[in-house]
Amino acid sequence: MRKFFRTVVLLAGLAAAPYALAQAPAASAPSASAAAPADAPAAAASDTQSLDQSIQSLKSEAVDLNRDLFVLEEELLFPANTQVAVFLSMDVGDFFNLDSVSLKIDDHEVANYLYTPREVAALIKGGVQRLYLGNLKVGDHELTAFFNGKGPNDRDYKRGATIRFKKAIGAKYLELKINDRQRRLQPEFEIKDWE
Amino acid sequence: MSPQQPVRAALASLLIVLPAFFAAAVAADAPIVGREAPDFALRAAHGPNVRLSEHRGEVIVVSFWGSRCSTCAAQLQALDRSYTIFRSAGLEILGVNVDDDQRRAAEAAGGYSLQFPILLDPQKGVSRDYRVDNLPMTVLIDRDGRVRYVHRDFSKPGETLYLQELRGLLNE
Repeated sequence: MRKFFRTVVLLAGLAAAPYALAQAPAASAPSASAAAPADAPAAAASDTQSLDQSIQSLKSEAVDLNRDLFVLEEELLFPANTQVAVFLSMDVGDFFNLDSVSLKIDDHEVANYLYTPREVAALIKGGVQRLYLGNLKVGDHELTAFFNGKGPNDRDYKRGATIRFKKAIGAKYLELKINDRQRRLQPEFEIKDWE
Repeated sequence: MSPQQPVRAALASLLIVLPAFFAAAVAADAPIVGREAPDFALRAAHGPNVRLSEHRGEVIVVSFWGSRCSTCAAQLQALDRSYTIFRSAGLEILGVNVDDDQRRAAEAAGGYSLQFPILLDPQKGVSRDYRVDNLPMTVLIDRDGRVRYVHRDFSKPGETLYLQELRGLLNE
């Protein structure tokens, strides 16, 4: 029984050790500050400034490193030989208020994106969104995009567009374009293959 | 076999089981508390689609609820009161309904006449991301987009604590 209690006491001691270590420097701090000279505030301000500069430079390095890692990750995950990217752009948007787009490649759904009014506004201003980035093997493929939203007279509107394309060695870029067809007062959906 | 042996064995097993139990209780919240809130975009019952990341810089309360949950209605009303008070201080509340039937969810939301948007998650994708295991469940997200507190269930003491936490986040 004594052995058991000894084990319990030992475990409790181990658990309390980090707290004891944390308390130790705090306890010694006042004596160190008491010994500091009178011009301590000026020195402390200078130290703080240099520390702030160091932090800023470290932050900047971290951002650079993160960018490099992102590029490296994309190169590794989506090599140029197999890469396929699908972009979406919108022109005017008087006859179509975009709600969502779903994307199928070779009959497999690869992307489904829901748009907020702010995102639609950005697209109308000329923004281009990368909707999908993936890998495809060399050969013939089919891409189908379904556009959901509100059409003329605020009616629910769903349209599809399909393109058959050949994937060769090298990256493949496709663009889904939503345009207003002024003559028919209808939206127009097309898929452009960037050769 | 000494008579002390069963007592010793029971104490030893208690020593093993208790930390495991507390660790499991903490781990239930561990996946999301302190981490970046998973982003989502959902359709609203009334109004435009909403994306969480577009509210970065505001304190966000995401409340998961269902129309069959008895305490959810009381919680939504309480959230609506706090929305009226703290909206101008940078509070945004998103009610996420997890019903399968979207029409029923929209009707329930309309009945409460809430000021904040009610979003629909019939596929439960967002609920899975936020580890929703009880209704109502409330997630408090700070201005940097990190999950800071998670409340499962609703009660008067719970509401007081929620308001304290909310004030703290708004003052940060």
